[in-house]
Amino acid sequence: MIEFRDLEVTYPNGFKALKGIDLTIPKGQFVVIVGLSGAGKSTLIRTVNHLVPPSNGDVVIDGRSVGDAKRGELRRIRSKIGMIFQTFNLVKRSSVLRNVLAGRLGHVSPLRGLLGLFSKHDLALAHESLRRVGIAEKAWQRADALSGGQQQRVGIARALAQQPEVMLADEPVASLDPPTSHAVMSDLKRISREDGITTLVNLHFIDMAREYADRIVGMRDGVVVFDGTPAEATDQAFEDIYGRPIDVEKDLRGAA
Amino acid sequence: MPDAATASQVPTPPPRVRRANAARAGLVVTILLLAVVTTIALDLPSAERVLRGLRNNAVPLLRGFVQPRWEIAPLAFSSMAETFFMAVIGTTIGAILAFPLSFLAAGNLLGGTRFAIPGKTVLVAIRTFPEILLAIIFVAATGPGPTAGIMAMGIHSIGFLGKIFADVIEGIDPGPNEAIRAAGGGALQVFVWSVIPQVLPEFASNVLYRFEINLRAATVLGLVGAGGIGLPLIQRLQFRRWEEVSMLLLVIIAFVIVVDALSGRIRRRLV
Amino acid sequence: MLPEPAGTPAIPERPAGQRKVAAATLATFVALFVVSAWQTGFSVGDLATGTGDFFRFFGRMVPNWGYLPRVWGPILETLQIAYLGTLFGTALALPLLFLASANTTTDRVTLAVSRSVLTVLRSIPDLLYAALLAPILAIGPLPGVVALTLFSLAVLAKLGSETVEAADPGPMEAVRATGAGRNRVIVYAVVPQVAATMTSYVLYVFEINVRASVIIGLVGAGGIGQDLLARLNFFAYGDVSTIIVVIFVLVLAIDALSVWARSKLI
Repeated sequence: MIEFRDLEVTYPNGFKALKGIDLTIPKGQFVVIVGLSGAGKSTLIRTVNHLVPPSNGDVVIDGRSVGDAKRGELRRIRSKIGMIFQTFNLVKRSSVLRNVLAGRLGHVSPLRGLLGLFSKHDLALAHESLRRVGIAEKAWQRADALSGGQQQRVGIARALAQQPEVMLADEPVASLDPPTSHAVMSDLKRISREDGITTLVNLHFIDMAREYADRIVGMRDGVVVFDGTPAEATDQAFEDIYGRPIDVEKDLRGAA
Repeated sequence: MPDAATASQVPTPPPRVRRANAARAGLVVTILLLAVVTTIALDLPSAERVLRGLRNNAVPLLRGFVQPRWEIAPLAFSSMAETFFMAVIGTTIGAILAFPLSFLAAGNLLGGTRFAIPGKTVLVAIRTFPEILLAIIFVAATGPGPTAGIMAMGIHSIGFLGKIFADVIEGIDPGPNEAIRAAGGGALQVFVWSVIPQVLPEFASNVLYRFEINLRAATVLGLVGAGGIGLPLIQRLQFRRWEEVSMLLLVIIAFVIVVDALSGRIRRRLV
Repeated sequence: MLPEPAGTPAIPERPAGQRKVAAATLATFVALFVVSAWQTGFSVGDLATGTGDFFRFFGRMVPNWGYLPRVWGPILETLQIAYLGTLFGTALALPLLFLASANTTTDRVTLAVSRSVLTVLRSIPDLLYAALLAPILAIGPLPGVVALTLFSLAVLAKLGSETVEAADPGPMEAVRATGAGRNRVIVYAVVPQVAATMTSYVLYVFEINVRASVIIGLVGAGGIGQDLLARLNFFAYGDVSTIIVVIFVLVLAIDALSVWARSKLI
């Protein structure tokens, strides 16, 4: 379970990206976060694994505070959180398998990780992750030899190899064409369901949000302006997320 | 997730990857073995001799860094200044003479490859000849002093700058050339209005970079009598006056760092 | 021909500011040149006489090929010095360059210190290191190896840190997100990106080191340079010529080899 407790994030240049977020996300839920660029979606997602530190408030995962975690504790927390990125962030010149094995780095000793001495278990896990996203046969190819959709699948496999309890996806399909985007999103949903992984996905597109989400959270200017099921996410609600100023009285959170 | 160890096999690398790994391992082993063999084969002094040398020499040298001998500071500055001036002239001569040569050596302008091959050969020959040997020969031929060092640096710089200039010329965009010719311009106009503007900033940047290197080289040329701070340096080295050596070194380091910084800033604004 | 349209504005002159800068720069260079010439006693006439003297001197130096067999031993030592200098320099440069790169070092102090150390190390040319170390470490190949190690370390660490700082930060973020510590982030996300370029730099440094190793003997740091010095002191110009020719061929060969090997890497 992930809790955002009155979370605020202010960047060094003074920009307030998050202005007080309160959310509770139960285990296994597939949450899609929508909003314009600059609304705070990327920042919010990155506070979960402390890639962005909170300026005020906290993120608590299963009772353990992320904001206060020290280095060793933080690495342990991160090792249980898988992350996929819009630009895939694969090491282009390394093989697909090596990229996926990087997901095991949080689980093996530093020395073994440094020397690349992964156990049979690690290798089997990596292979299994690749199989689950359907590209096991590409294991030994260079990462940049794959298509965009395949590269994102490698990213998912890398996250899977961590045997994560939480999955964070920052605009995972923004660089992909529509059919490939849907394929990747359905893979994500399927895996989240199969393994009971709490998943947070940033998306631009309304229809994709409605199609895959268990729950939709809409953000604007650093605050949550919508929180509900896809059924409740009417076009009116989305207009409010994306553009027109809303009255504080008419806060749509949960209400019809 | 179900226990993967039972659900999946351990992947085995294809032969291509295995060969690449083996080759890399072999390379590393060869390099290390070669290093060991080479070290043993070298005629190295005994550890006791090295320690004695360090104690007698390195210690006063390091002490001189912490407590420099300010008495020789004026000498250090004036001879480093001479070094600086040597580098200025040497680089300038090299640049001026390299300029026409580079156009001959570049394959894409006058005459094409007819001049390029002999041109490049001459430049390579000049570059390959060690600069300090040039300096020694000039000292023997024209007598010791900064002129010998300037000549050596100038000639050597022709080789380096000539090659780099030629590369820059070969790399220019032919588009503007075509545009000027289409507008009715002749070869000279193409040269002045298209080629020169494209290559000048790059040329200037490389000349400055060469100056940085020449300043360092000039400190060394004095060791063989070709002027600059090398002469006072070698004298004090021979007499093991280590505290004074460190003073000279401090001045050299300071000069070089300042020149590098200035040169770097100018070069960034150029390109 | 088209008539001049009425009311055509005059072609704007180059802005005064730009002209001033250009003029000032030119004036500075000319002044610098003049001062330098005056201070060093150099005159353009020297160029002509110098070149003449040079060729006259050079023309007298006919190679004595009988000396050739005695050259190979020292040449081998020269190559050994260059090899070890490059190897040790590379080994030492690797940790230093990561410490001196802004995106792979954790704290500002380490960054500042390593960069300063690098700047100082880089300001001394290889020959000068050799000249300094020869009296300290006993004449022979040892000061040569140490001098080239220091020089290679400085050059490689500088080139390497520039490459590392230009690396794509995306993969670094991804690996950090899996819980890996800084060293593993470097190994998995940075090293693969820069490995090819670094290898090319190492070959380049080897090339420079060979050029240096052939002459560091002149200051007592081993290799063929020492024989060159000895023959010079005996005024045995025939032998000197032979050595120079061999040096020339060696540097040429290593240059070509290095260029070929580097082209294979890209």
